[in-house]
Amino acid sequence: MTHLRLEGLTRRFPGAAHPAVDGVSLQLPKGALLALLGPSGCGKTTTLRMIAGLEVPDGGRVLVAGQDVTALPPHRRNMGVVFQSYALFPHMTAAANVAFGLEMRGIGRAERRARVDEALALVGLSDLALRKPRQLSGGQQQRVALARALAIRPDLLLLDEPLSALDAKLREGVRDEIRALQQRVGATTVFVTHDQTEALAMADLVAVMNEGRVEQLGAPEEVFERPATRFVATFVGRAARLPGKVEGPGVVRCGEVALRFSPSPVHGGGPGWGDAAGTTVELFIRPHHIRPLVEGQPADNVLDAQVLRRTFTGDVVALECATPAGTLLAELHGGTRGASAAVGSRLRLGFAAQDVRVFPA
Amino acid sequence: MRPGWVLRLLAFCGYALLLAPVIVVAIISFSAGDFLTFPPPGFSTRWYEALFANGQLMAALQRSAILASVVAVIALLAGMPAAYAIARLRFPGRDAIAMLIAAPLLLPTLVLGLALLLALQPLKLAATWPGLVLAHSMVALPFAVRIMTTAFGAVPKEVEEAAWTLGATPARAALRITLPIAAPGAAAAGALCFLVSFDETVISLFLVGPRLSTLPVEMFRYVETRTDPLVAALAMALIGVALAVVLLVERLVGFNRALGRG
Repeated sequence: MTHLRLEGLTRRFPGAAHPAVDGVSLQLPKGALLALLGPSGCGKTTTLRMIAGLEVPDGGRVLVAGQDVTALPPHRRNMGVVFQSYALFPHMTAAANVAFGLEMRGIGRAERRARVDEALALVGLSDLALRKPRQLSGGQQQRVALARALAIRPDLLLLDEPLSALDAKLREGVRDEIRALQQRVGATTVFVTHDQTEALAMADLVAVMNEGRVEQLGAPEEVFERPATRFVATFVGRAARLPGKVEGPGVVRCGEVALRFSPSPVHGGGPGWGDAAGTTVELFIRPHHIRPLVEGQPADNVLDAQVLRRTFTGDVVALECATPAGTLLAELHGGTRGASAAVGSRLRLGFAAQDVRVFPA
Repeated sequence: MRPGWVLRLLAFCGYALLLAPVIVVAIISFSAGDFLTFPPPGFSTRWYEALFANGQLMAALQRSAILASVVAVIALLAGMPAAYAIARLRFPGRDAIAMLIAAPLLLPTLVLGLALLLALQPLKLAATWPGLVLAHSMVALPFAVRIMTTAFGAVPKEVEEAAWTLGATPARAALRITLPIAAPGAAAAGALCFLVSFDETVISLFLVGPRLSTLPVEMFRYVETRTDPLVAALAMALIGVALAVVLLVERLVGFNRALGRG
């Protein structure tokens, strides 16, 4: 059941050449976590702020549980927001911070205390209830912010880059904690991030944003494996990018060789793609889709390659290879065939037609 | 980098230049002689004793202290909403209003005093408490608004927004969150307004009457007719009050923090 629905949400800042958010529409089922993923300036935070009511849209609507909240001020929306800076009240203890939203709702002292205790226990901070924010570490402050947002039992939980202020070491643990917590309380959540790993690891749905628009909305696997646009293919995950020209249905010429791909709407450009002979395109091939082949082993696309560079990162070996089609990057697990190939050695690399993404250049 | 000796010497000379007259006054205030002469012929505390025995000056001191306290409260109460609006809200005419509030700082106090006299006389407010309070509040207000604008501006916008999302109306968020965080600034602003009123002489000269006079005015009149070191003792008392106010703020909140530089 749809819990959050955005309809053509638009925001134009005065004096800006392009709208910061340009007709964003999406739907989020109850209890799901949506990641708004994109580079800085793509409009993801502005979108979040419009959902919270902190920014007034120039067009479009925000609906929560079927109710149009577009015209409501933030204090009447019942949304728990965790800000990038946490925005704790510095003059109040952790417990008072968490209690504030309950107090504003006129909840009695006894129930307030119980719910503050519950929220602090949820984030594992019961012992530090009486500390002021400045006496807490960054990670602890973040949990207080989370407890404060959850204590009001919000219709929506909104997180603006909640991990960006944390140490890289802490980030992964906190990421998993937030996800587990979100699933435990069943909070429908919108999460803003510029980190694709974060988005892919945490979200049920990922909306990849660029220049104020949603380029693709889908499950993490879908966004990663079947990018809908060239931007998504570039921004999410890594890929070798080869320039080419369409020769015929499902065939692209890259340098000296013809490569095969399976044309379909998800390969960008829509139906009829493979017929557009002569079009200049760019091919995207993910490193993990490339396999070394033994002599005579078939594959849709086979390229002779020479290893230019070999990077050993523990469980994965990355090989940068020169091929007649251009430079390819292959990632092989340690111990598998080809993983021990030395710089300068020759390999045969293969990949399937369905793993090749083609976008107009 | 540690300041070099040239810088230290310059700083020393600067402070010496500023403080030398005060030191001279401090020494004369302990004079045993009958005139304002330096060096004094001998030392005693007789002029301090004379000061505390002088009913007229002591009454003026009390009046000035009460006036300054009332003015500080009024300037804060009037200045804080204005400062909040200037720091936080976007509305047409915002810059013009900010300028208008700061205007008394730019006018020569002589002009301001005359203008106030001409305005208050027909209202029968000249030489009255309400008239003095009004005039001093006008002079103190720009200081209150200036400091509070900085103090409110230093409170992160997100903190206030967080309060809104938790269900606080903008007014409650301002009172429960923004104002308490800006409280050190309010303490500094109050102290400064107190001192501005307490030291104000020129405008008061226009507005006081025979039965309602402030300490600086009384002091001014005293030196016009007398030349004994009593006035030096009085000057030291004034410095003492100012120092006490500053120390109080420093003790309560720390002046650097209060002025938003913490």
